[in-house]
Amino acid sequence: MYQHNGEEIFVIDGHVHLWDATEENIKHEGGEEFIQCFYDYHTTFTPEDRQWDMDEYREYGADRMVEDLFGNAAADMAVFQPTYLTDFYEDGFNTAEQNAELAEKHPERFVLNGTFDPRDGEEGLEYLEELHERYDIPGVKLYTAEWRGDSKGWRLDDEDAFEFLEKCSELGIENIHAHKGPTIRPLNRDAFDVADVDDAASSFPDLNFVVEHVGLPRLDDFCWIAAQENNVYGGLAVAAPFAQNRPGKFSEIMSELLWWLGEDRVIFGSDYALWNPDWLVEEVIEAELTQEHRMEYGVEWDLETKKKVMGENIAELYDIDIEAKRRAFRDDEISQQFDLEDHYAGEEPAPADD
Amino acid sequence: MSGQMPDGPAPTRAAVRDRLDRVTDPELDRSIVELDYVDRIEIDGGRVGVDLTLPTAWCSPAFAWMMAVDARDEVESLPAVENAHITLREHMHEAEINRGVNERLSFAEAFPDADGDVDAVRAELDDKARVARQYDAVETLLNAGLDAEAIVELRRRDLETDDSESDDEPAETIAVYVRDRSFAVSVPAAPIERYLEKAREIDLVSNPDDTLFRTPEGEPIDVESFDLVHQRGRLAQVNMSSQGGICDGLREVREGRLEEAADD
Repeated sequence: MYQHNGEEIFVIDGHVHLWDATEENIKHEGGEEFIQCFYDYHTTFTPEDRQWDMDEYREYGADRMVEDLFGNAAADMAVFQPTYLTDFYEDGFNTAEQNAELAEKHPERFVLNGTFDPRDGEEGLEYLEELHERYDIPGVKLYTAEWRGDSKGWRLDDEDAFEFLEKCSELGIENIHAHKGPTIRPLNRDAFDVADVDDAASSFPDLNFVVEHVGLPRLDDFCWIAAQENNVYGGLAVAAPFAQNRPGKFSEIMSELLWWLGEDRVIFGSDYALWNPDWLVEEVIEAELTQEHRMEYGVEWDLETKKKVMGENIAELYDIDIEAKRRAFRDDEISQQFDLEDHYAGEEPAPADD
Repeated sequence: MSGQMPDGPAPTRAAVRDRLDRVTDPELDRSIVELDYVDRIEIDGGRVGVDLTLPTAWCSPAFAWMMAVDARDEVESLPAVENAHITLREHMHEAEINRGVNERLSFAEAFPDADGDVDAVRAELDDKARVARQYDAVETLLNAGLDAEAIVELRRRDLETDDSESDDEPAETIAVYVRDRSFAVSVPAAPIERYLEKAREIDLVSNPDDTLFRTPEGEPIDVESFDLVHQRGRLAQVNMSSQGGICDGLREVREGRLEEAADD
């Protein structure tokens, strides 16, 4: 939990990966371009003294991930968002199965999501059912710009995708995370268009659509859709690190999001290992809206809003009982490993002894 | 087009720069000169070479294409220019773009894999630029004391620039007639002109009777939704400048890397 002005903020990192971009795993030049592009984003927004080397960035492994996320309680929990890219990487970039090894080791700390690709047809539907049976996944991460053979992407509002969304609805896989964000070399920019979320969200009101990266560079399209569809949420991954190197811009983006979506539908995510929560959480929580933006938009980035955005909103989507978690984390394996027992112990106000 | 240069043996560097200044990054709606994308201008008689570098190697090929084509066409619009040769550098698709632009191919010819041409993308970005520019124009009118009712009623013919200004220098103010032309207010011309330029370019506000300001969808604005439409204009600006923030950051990293490589 992050200690902010004497208050504790329970942080659920809504967007993490455990990827393998080693040279041995790359089977298509797109795989190399993809990780190089990630690395450029990493170095662009990470403070210089916190930047990784390219080699460690390619493969950091489970132990480092656990330490980076939970070692100093930067995050209390994290949601795995798999990215398959099996045309680019031999074993995939980070699949549900790969993520599951770590998620199953620390089931209290991780939420494991799956994925689907409507281009896989009947086989894809079976795979989705299999993920549901095997891991009881509460959500899926979708990559509409993923290459598959000659296809350079797909849309959430086409007939095939609707069949998969119906299956999600039937199985109770409620949280649909769509990557709608900056172009990632070599993927097609247009496949990241957010317009397809609109129809999908109104056709499936029982599902929650989390638009990752708040649609950047289509923040305007995203906010307009989200303003009309109350089951559309904004994931802050990529927008969050603006807090570090462009605080004025962060203030403006956050003001827009709070104005259009309100404080209940914005969700924090670091996008680990693009960026580390161990510095990013602090940057976001300690960020301030400029006086000018607060006046102009009439919104506040205050304690209550921070608690919602950093954890409570996604807890609601994933039925996470934050109070129960705080109690459980007093002596779970990770708290023991990093000596965090005291950190989680101070939940109830200590009896006054003076 | 206005401001044509006299015929001469060679165009001046300033004239070429002025033309390039009219080319915008379509996603950011800012001049490529202001954004520092222009690396080099070489003038050899009537032949002009222009080198461009974008913030990232993977800037959308469609955007890179638009900027390269616009740069070529703007420079060639100078009477003293016979031929403009554009060289895009450090881009993942520089070979296709340089060949296509200089051999005057269409986008679809240069990129056989792409789905269709760039026109739809360009139209979408032009529309966003129009919405963002409208925000500044409307702000200017609000600051001058006009209210929502008056602003949504405005037509093209209600704007008049002061004729006494000379042709060379753009008017600093513009007169806006309101309430059935019963009175006029004078406002700074720049944001209004900037908006009109884009609105004309996309043929949205061309005739004297055309409604001046529109929703992002291009419809006239109901007075009840005025605030919401205005807020959407602000949002379009924030979107553009956020993307600009990402581009700036990526460019800094790239420059750092190039410098490091040069030091080795």
